[in-house]
Order: sequence, then structure tokens, then C-alpha cells
Amino acid sequence: MADYRKVAAGRKPFKRAYVAVMLWFVGRAIQATARVDKVVKKEFEALPEEFTFSLGVEPGGPHMIVGKNKKGRVKYMGWEPEGKHIDLKMEIKNLEAAILMFTFQESTAIAIARDRMIVDGEVSYACTVVRVLDIVEVYLLPRLIARLAVKRYPLWSFRHKYIGRARIYFRSILGY
Amino acid sequence: MHLPGYYEFCSRVKMIAGHGALEKITGALADLHAKRPLIVTDKGVSGAGLVNIVTDAIKDGVSIGAIADDVPQDSDLRVVNRLASVYRENGCDSLIAVGGGSVMDTAKGINIVVSENADDLMKFSGAGALKRPLKPLVAIPTTSGTGSEVTSVAVVKDHEKHLKMAFVSYFLLPDVAILDSRMTLTLPPFITASTAMDAMAHAVEAYTCLAKNPLSDTSAIAAISLISENLLKVMKNPSDKDGRLALANAATLAGMAFSNSMVGMVHNLGHSVGSVCGVPHGTCMSILLPYGLEYNMHKNGHLTAELLLPLAGAEAYAGTPKHLRAERVIDHIRQMNQDLHDTSGGGHARFFREVVDRQGKQMVPREKLPDVARKALGDGAVFYNPEDLDYDDMLMVMTAAWEGVPLDISLIKKG
Amino acid sequence: MFLPDNYEFYCPVKTNSGNRALEHIPIDLDALSSRKPLIVTSKDVAGKGAVKKIVNAFKDSGITVGIFDAVPDVPDIKFIEEVSNIYRNKEHDSIVALGGGPIVDVAKIMNIAVSYNIQGLKELAGDDLIINPLGPFVLVPTLSGTGYETSRFAKIENLTFSSHFLMPDLVVIDPRMIKAEDSQIVVATAMTALTHSAEAYTCPAKNPLTDTYAYAAIQYIAENLVNVIEESKDKEGRLALANAAAMAGCALSNTAVDIVHTLGEVVGDMFDLPNGICMGILLPYGLEYSSNKNGYHTADLLLPLAGFDEYAKTSENLRARVAINMITEMQHDLYDATRGEIPRTLEEAEVPRYMLQDIAEKAVSCGSPKFDFDGYLTVLEHAWEGKPIARN
Repeated sequence: MADYRKVAAGRKPFKRAYVAVMLWFVGRAIQATARVDKVVKKEFEALPEEFTFSLGVEPGGPHMIVGKNKKGRVKYMGWEPEGKHIDLKMEIKNLEAAILMFTFQESTAIAIARDRMIVDGEVSYACTVVRVLDIVEVYLLPRLIARLAVKRYPLWSFRHKYIGRARIYFRSILGY
Repeated sequence: MHLPGYYEFCSRVKMIAGHGALEKITGALADLHAKRPLIVTDKGVSGAGLVNIVTDAIKDGVSIGAIADDVPQDSDLRVVNRLASVYRENGCDSLIAVGGGSVMDTAKGINIVVSENADDLMKFSGAGALKRPLKPLVAIPTTSGTGSEVTSVAVVKDHEKHLKMAFVSYFLLPDVAILDSRMTLTLPPFITASTAMDAMAHAVEAYTCLAKNPLSDTSAIAAISLISENLLKVMKNPSDKDGRLALANAATLAGMAFSNSMVGMVHNLGHSVGSVCGVPHGTCMSILLPYGLEYNMHKNGHLTAELLLPLAGAEAYAGTPKHLRAERVIDHIRQMNQDLHDTSGGGHARFFREVVDRQGKQMVPREKLPDVARKALGDGAVFYNPEDLDYDDMLMVMTAAWEGVPLDISLIKKG
Repeated sequence: MFLPDNYEFYCPVKTNSGNRALEHIPIDLDALSSRKPLIVTSKDVAGKGAVKKIVNAFKDSGITVGIFDAVPDVPDIKFIEEVSNIYRNKEHDSIVALGGGPIVDVAKIMNIAVSYNIQGLKELAGDDLIINPLGPFVLVPTLSGTGYETSRFAKIENLTFSSHFLMPDLVVIDPRMIKAEDSQIVVATAMTALTHSAEAYTCPAKNPLTDTYAYAAIQYIAENLVNVIEESKDKEGRLALANAAAMAGCALSNTAVDIVHTLGEVVGDMFDLPNGICMGILLPYGLEYSSNKNGYHTADLLLPLAGFDEYAKTSENLRARVAINMITEMQHDLYDATRGEIPRTLEEAEVPRYMLQDIAEKAVSCGSPKFDFDGYLTVLEHAWEGKPIARN
């Protein structure tokens, strides 16, 4: 029948790649921030031993996994959730929603408020993770953009923000 | 009217409301092809004779499988699993919940277990774990109220592991909700006041927090109007059938609103006080509501201002200059608490310091406030609150709410 | 606030509206247990790029969609048979209606055909004869609609089906899909939606739940219709109107037909005018007439029409009048904005005066028994001249 046809769902390789890179960088930035920032360090200390969380796109989209290893150090644990025990999964419902988040058109809070994400696991852990993400974003992003990404832009000293930012970028790129 | 950048709204519960609404239950069950319901309720409800009213209304074609009236005040995992067995043993094919929040949550929990043919509720606590419609569920609230008859959430506690599990899914929405004035006619004044203020908090937070949308907005405004117009009337004349029906409708509307727009810091802190000190939810809501509005004022004061119309009426709204309306809303709610305190002979608390248990013992000692503040950091409602709250902020608000003094606006961090 | 002693209400429609709404469809289809949707649309809609957009939205979801784009302007039952066979043969498990009007009628009725069977279709026409849930049905409007799309009604040939099972499980309102349409169409559809909502909001049997949908719909139309006509690039306005239409359908499905709805349809059919344009003309007069009848809540209408400030400032006994005047003003603004294209009176619409009695008779035969011949005629005469019924 000429009026009927089937179309297999294609892919969005560029958007996927962009989100994957952003997730990778944010993962490593969380690892770095846990070393540099006292508050983030404390937040992770309050989480259970070997706590692991993932942030990614469902279904089958790019992910990042961060967790505490046996020694209690916060580590970026790669992009493959398969086979890992994950305590908290934060799943963005589709790639477009992830693009909105990672181009800062929607902050984490707005994304949650707009039902763009599903949180699978203890909600109190999700609260911790979102607080950590907010702090990481303030370090990584210039004020103009970070103000869109977080609810309340903190008043940090010059040293706190800029030295911290330099250290975190340095560590994120080098991966330690 | 505000149009959000993106929103989702779903309220697919069939509503049957009125002074003789229960008589329609047989038809409602027939539409759901339900022939053998399990009635889930608690001793308070059955003791008040309300379950009899329900069973009397159920006519031919439907035979009641069993009546389980031992649901505890706090929904309990063991009870859920046990009643799921009762459901199966009696060959039931549907559920009727008659009661308040805990009964509703228990019934929703039982529904998950029996529909998924499982033996343990815990397996379904993840998001997206429920994939199919559940068995028919008819919800008949007996408080006005939690709004659980129209929410997609069920909270069940595992008392052994000290865990509180929240299940969220549109599949948890009851198929039918029946609001009948007979169900709340004998509700004691203290509970009438606190459950109505619970509904008020739901509506106010749904209207003023980040996930607001047009349909939750209109539901919230209607709920606030109905409560403002009827609560004190019903406190003074508890057998006012029309007033009772109005409050029942308000609770449902508020439930629809917050089920789709979520809630904010009032619930955040309220859950924590409830958890740490055992204070009833409605009491926490009434006390904390004005503080939530004060704290968030610099972010959503313009929305709070609008609530003056449904809260205090057209004259008060028109007569108050725009820039003073939000404050007037907060004062009005404080005054409501004061009026309820007076009408209930001191039973309705205005601040946490004066909350006492049945033996007259103080339920919220000042030393517990840091624990409450800490616990509140882990409550999901914080996502939807317009302003951030850290430990110090939580403690500041709790301290003011404990003493019963307004927040010092100059202490609120604005970033 | 008014509360009826007894009421019933049901609206199964989930609404997803806003930026990137389309991309949420796959996950919502999953919740409906569907992995093989069939998109049903027309060549006209497909020609405007809508199909391409929706197919793009499925990218990265792993779902293969079927597309059937041959819905004609006036489908018949034979057509339903054809498209239902395709649905079955290609093993689809949900229907996604992309568009409005006949596309939605086809989607709803084929849903009956594929969930029951085609042979029994005609027997199910009428009120509430469908007793079992149908298959999953998603609606993606491409214009701002009349409200019928999300409603419990579907029409084909001379049959009308009415059942809440026909209402879509999900309506997806994405600004990328709501296209700028001809002013006549926008006004006609918006006025139909406004009529449904206003009548639901003011009728004696109104209940707080129909109110929640009707209130939002009325407010969005009052705030946006004229702007959208004056400024065709007003995307947010169009999104608001599309929301209003979806909500109007939910209100319409829970309320009885009233005077303006009836007269609008009769006039439209008799004189081959868009029903919505007729309803727009008749609305202030119909509301005014019913405001003098027992139990109508016309004064309440001022709240969604004018907003909190205006409502609170206006004294109670003047609210109905002010509300009706606002609608008349809207008519004038639309007339001006379209340089006279949208008629304000039946005279301007070229309805002959001597036919008004015939129209009133027809309305009596198919409308609500609440109104009699004199009532219908009064409204028609005043709508013809453009004069309010009472001067007070």
C-alpha cells in the first residue's frame, strides 16, 4: 500500500557524542571536586561505603558512573553501567532532554521539576548528588551560565572559586 | 496565566462525589468488571461505623471477599504482604480502600503485590518498575485529607529495616474515588483541622513551587477557596454536610494539584519533623506553611500574592495593594492557625514548642531541631522548592517555627 | 464557591505540553505497553513537515514506526476498514493521530474497530455503548483545535460515537507541531473551544473538576487569541491555544450541550459556515440569555476571562455583564485584526433574517430541553442585530 510505510528509528550521533563527552567530563570533575572541595568531600563521606551512582540517558544512551572505591576515594568509574552494582540511577528520559540539560537551557532542578528525569534509588542520595552537581557546576562554569544551572549562586571568595576552578580543571583533564 | 516551558499532567481517576455518592459504588465496580473486592480499612474507621455504610451500599452482583480492618496508623510492609495473601486466599479481584493516608498507601501497596503476582513489595520500589495496569482500586477517603485518592504515590514503611519506600507510578492511581459527606461527618475537630491544613499546604505548595502547571494551578485555587470558605464553619458545626463535602472536594483537588506539581520545603521539613519526632503530618503542615512562604518570598512572592484571592476573598484582594498581598497571605494563614487553635480548645498547635502528645508531653524538644534539619537534607521535596536550603537554612526555619516567631527575612541567603 | 450536591467526572487524558514534548512519546508509549505505533495522518499534514518532525523525535528510541498518511477530508466506514486491516496486518499496537478533525475521528473509530471488530462497529455508535478499554491512543495536534480531538466524541458518515474510552491516553502538544494557520481557522477553532469551556463553566451542573479544565482553557483563550491573530509569529500564544483546546475537550466530555453549542452547529450546518465562527457570534448573547435563567453561574466567568485583579475589583452584581462585554470586545478586536473577515453578527455573516425562525425550530428538535423556541429565537435575533438582550 503506497500510503503506508515503516521507518526504523534512526540515531542522533552528534548529539549523543556531545552528551557523552559532557558526561565524561562531569564525571571526572566530580572526582576532582571531591578532592578539592571540603563540602563535597563531606557529602561523599556521609554516603554509604562503596556507594555508586550513575547519570545517563535512557534507553541505551551515554552514561557516567561515579562512586566510592574500597578505600573510600571518589572515582569516576567509566561510562558502562552494565555489570556494575549501582545504588542510585539518575536516568534522563531521552537524548533531547539531556541536550537541554547539558546546554544549560534547563538546570538540574528545572529538569527534575519538568519530569525530564527518573530517579531510581534512595531519594536522599539523589538529594546529595544534586547538591554535589550544583557545586561542580559552579566550579566549572562561568558565573553567567552557572547562575542558570543552579538555584542559588553561592558567595565564594576569589580564592575559593578561581583557584578551586583551576585545580579542578587541571585534575579533570589529567584524571586524578 | 503561566504556561510552563514543559509540563505533564495526568489525573485519570473517575470521581463520584455527593451526599449519596456511595450508593453508586455497585455501578462503579461493575464498570471495572470487579465482583469480589477486598475492603482495606483500619479500626478507627470501622469503629466509627463507616465501613458498614460502605458495605450497605454494595448491592447485588458484588460479593465482598473480605474486610481487613487492621491497617496500622503508619503503612507497614508486613501488613501489605500479609493482606496480599488475604486477598488471594479469598479469591478477590479488586480492592476498596476506606480510610486515610495510611489505608490508601497500604491498599496501593497490596495492589502492586497481587497484580504483579509477587510475594514481596520491595522488588517494585524502583522507578519504572510497574509496567502494566494493576487490579481495580476504589478509594473512599475518610479524612479531608491527604488527597491520596488521586495521587500516584504510595509510601510504605519497612519497620524492621527502618526504611521508608516511596512508589511512584501513574498505575498506582485509583480507578475510582468516591467522596461522600457521610465519611467525614463524624471526624473529630482536631483531625478535621489538621487534615484540612494538610490539603491547604498541598494546594499552596503546588501553586508556588517549581513544577506548577495550568491544571494543577486551577485545582489548587479551587481547593484553597473551598477550605477558606468552609473549614471554620465545619469546626463550629461538625455536622454541616455541605461543609464536609466541600472540604472533601478540596482535599481531592489539592491532591490532584500536588500529585502533578509536587511540593516544596513545607513538606520537606514537615516529613522530617514527622519522622524524627512523630508529629502528625497535618500539624507539621499547618505550622510550617507560613514559614515556607516567607522563606521563598524573594523567589515566588508574586505567586503567593495571587493566593490572597481564593484565601481571603475578592474584597480583601482588591483592598490590599499588590506589594502587600503576599505578606497578607502569610498573616491570614497564621490567623487561621490561631482561629483553629482557639476553636479546638488549644488542640491545634500554632508552633512546634506547643505540640504535645496525648499524655501532654512535649513532642518536639529543642535539642531535636538539628536532627530534623539534617534529615530534611535528604527529602526529595527540596528539588521543587524555588530556593535552595542547606543545613543552616533548615535549622533557621525550624527554630523560628519552634518558637512561633516570623522568619527574619534579612537572614535568608539569596546568593 | 459553588459545589453541586452530586456529580461525576472522568478524564483519562494525560497532557504533555511544551518544549521537546515529542521526544517523550517513546517512554510514554512504553508505559502503555506499546512498541509499534502506527502514525495516522493526512497528506496535507505530512506535506507540512509534521511527519518528518515526529519521526525525528523517535530517533534513538529503538522504535520502528509505521506511517499511514492517506486520511481523506471526509472518511467513510470503508476507509476505517482499510486502515484497521493495515494496523492488524502490520502488527501495530498503538495509534498516534497526527493532526486534527477527520484524522482524529478516524483514529478514534479505528481504535474501536481494532479493539473489538469492524463488523460490530455500527452497533457501538451512540452513548456509552463501548464497555471495554480500547488500545493505546496518542494524539499529537498540529493546530490549536476545537476540543473535539481530546473529547469522548467521534463522528463518521452519519454516526456519532460517544464514550470516554475514545479519549486519548496521551495528548502531546509540541510548539514545533502547532503550525500558523489561516485566521479564520484559528478563530473558528478557538471559539468552539471557548464555547465548550464557557458553557461548562457557567452551567447549573458545573462541578469543580470540569471547572479546573474549563477555567484554564478560558483564560488561555482570553489571553492569547487576539494576540495570535495580530501576531502570527506568537509561538507561545499558539501553544497556549492548543492547550486550551485540549482542556476544552476534557470539560466538554463531562458536561451537557448548551444553547450556544446547539445554535452554533445548526447555523453552521444550515448556512455552510464554520461552526466555530457561528459560536463566536452567538456566545455573548447565549451567555446573556442563560444568565437570566435559574442556576447559571455567568458571573464566575469573569475570573478566568479577566484575571484576579479585574474580578476582585468588579462588584458581584456587575460581573456577568462585564464578562459578556469582554467577549463582545474580543469579537470586535478579532474583526479589526482581520480587517472585517470575522463577522460579529449573524447579519455580517450573511444569515438571512427571515430564516431565524427555522433555525430556532431546528435547534428545539436537537438541542437541550432547557431552552424553548422563544429562547433560541431571542438569542438569534439579538445575535443578528448585535444588540445585547437587556440594557442595564
